[in-house]
Amino acid sequence: MGVGLGVRIGRISMKNPVTVGSGTFGFGQEMAEFYDLSRLGAITVKGTSLAPWPGNDYPRTVETASGMLNAIGLQNDGVDSFIDEKMPFLRGFDVPVIVNIVGHSIEEYSELAARLDKVDGVAGLEINISCPNVRQGCLVFGTSPEGAAEVVRAVRANTGLTVITKLSPNVGDIVSIARAAVEAGSDALSLINTLLGTAIDPWTRRFRLANVTGGLSGPAIKPVALRMVYEVARAVDVPIIGMGGILTAMDAIEFLLAGASAVAVGTGNFVNPMAAVEIIDGIEAYLVNMGFGDVREIVGRVS
Amino acid sequence: MKAVYDCEIIDQTEVSPGVYRTRLTGPEIAREATAGQFVNVQVAKTTDPLLRRPFSVHATSPDEGVFSLLYVVIGRGTELLRRIPAGEKVSVVGPLGRGFDLGDSPDAEHVVVAGGCGAAPLHFLCDALCAKWSCEKVTVLAGAKSKDAVLCESEFRAHGVDVGIATDDASYGYGGFVTQLLEDHLRRSGFGNPDRVTTPNTQHPTPNTRVYSCGPHAMMREVARICREAGVASCQVSLENNMACGLGVCMGCAQKVVDSQLSTLNSLPWHYERVCKDGPVFEAEDVIWE
Repeated sequence: MGVGLGVRIGRISMKNPVTVGSGTFGFGQEMAEFYDLSRLGAITVKGTSLAPWPGNDYPRTVETASGMLNAIGLQNDGVDSFIDEKMPFLRGFDVPVIVNIVGHSIEEYSELAARLDKVDGVAGLEINISCPNVRQGCLVFGTSPEGAAEVVRAVRANTGLTVITKLSPNVGDIVSIARAAVEAGSDALSLINTLLGTAIDPWTRRFRLANVTGGLSGPAIKPVALRMVYEVARAVDVPIIGMGGILTAMDAIEFLLAGASAVAVGTGNFVNPMAAVEIIDGIEAYLVNMGFGDVREIVGRVS
Repeated sequence: MKAVYDCEIIDQTEVSPGVYRTRLTGPEIAREATAGQFVNVQVAKTTDPLLRRPFSVHATSPDEGVFSLLYVVIGRGTELLRRIPAGEKVSVVGPLGRGFDLGDSPDAEHVVVAGGCGAAPLHFLCDALCAKWSCEKVTVLAGAKSKDAVLCESEFRAHGVDVGIATDDASYGYGGFVTQLLEDHLRRSGFGNPDRVTTPNTQHPTPNTRVYSCGPHAMMREVARICREAGVASCQVSLENNMACGLGVCMGCAQKVVDSQLSTLNSLPWHYERVCKDGPVFEAEDVIWE
């Protein structure tokens, strides 16, 4: 069809503007049973910490109106396991890998950046300062411009990889945090992470999540996400990966129009394991139908 | 490659009050599914409810390209599913998860313990056990609240396997829990020491008995205890923790599983496994029953 789908996020060349939301795609193995992962613009893997994290107690998820809450607690086997056991599999595909990094302290983020810096196949780091389900650290850094800047500087100082900062929507002024992250050296931003929420079972009079609160995702949060992407895109001049409730190509187009250079499919992967590739095809068809020659022509073109 | 299939609903039958059997076309699923695996069904074409609903595969007919589900209408998802008319298509992902291990000993005796709608996957299992070994080696023990709620009895009997029924309200069969039938069966079954129920040991006094169970959590925990004390060769349980993805990527349906040695990962005597991917069938002795 000949339309241009490629975009750049920092120094990462994506063959199309579609990646996946961290924590909704594991480390790729399970989804590779459904399609060739090389089709994706990038793979963003599950949050990875320095030491293994066991995660939260069960129940960890609950469905809500047009969405779901999760309080997984970033269960993961740690960075050594990622490098030794997950990365060799991912290197088998022609796709940039973005590693979502999580820590309890500045030092942990620094060391993660240093450890991943020279790992073959890793193209970028997504700094997770927005996870709502971990008691210590993490979100603490994401709720103030100073905290965000401190983490970004520490990561920046330890890696030459593309640095993406993933922003929390659970803040008063997301634009000031976005600006602080960019000034501290972030090459790109991704937003939004989940919105804090809870759910209660009226019959047992108990919270539905063991963790009490969790992160809301799915179509229910799309209007909030779109508004935040739009506001941040107007305020910074780095590329944005937009996410929050994307199920279809038309959802993705809305994010591109709001100012995102790329999008991530998150909870949509659960609803339809083929969602990401169907969205890539749908974006291409939209551009052809609307007479655009390149996806970059529509980025930020809402009026 | 795994895939998302559009499966036509052939028919839906209310087999007992509030319990439906749904037959769907799905040649790949009918061919590939093994007993204990599940499929993830999109019960609505809107975003609410958003997530698919997991259902164990109840039966397959690979020659016809048909598989079936058996479910109790218990919430919004099952209510929506039962209302879908024959002839419509639903989106189905599957088969998913790890099913039952039927063992490799031709001498084994197989005991299938069903509780309520836990009978759904055990019908498929019974089929598979009869095909791989022999119906003569299979005993089915099925429990339910009352006579109306006993599922699949005629299907089990059609195989010619031994069937024992227990109802909580004594309206049919043995009055009491199906776990008592299991305890009695293991005590009677002639494998080894008659005192084994009260004197657990590591000598596997019922080394050739394999137990398979699906039902309420409390029932399976009791099945696990009885099997441990009887020293059976294998006791497998099918769990149904709440799932979001059903694919093994979200880590939502986490189940604590025993580590034989302290985990090198987190220095705890357990780790989490995924019911949707590592299960839903687990060896009962690996499960941490909470």
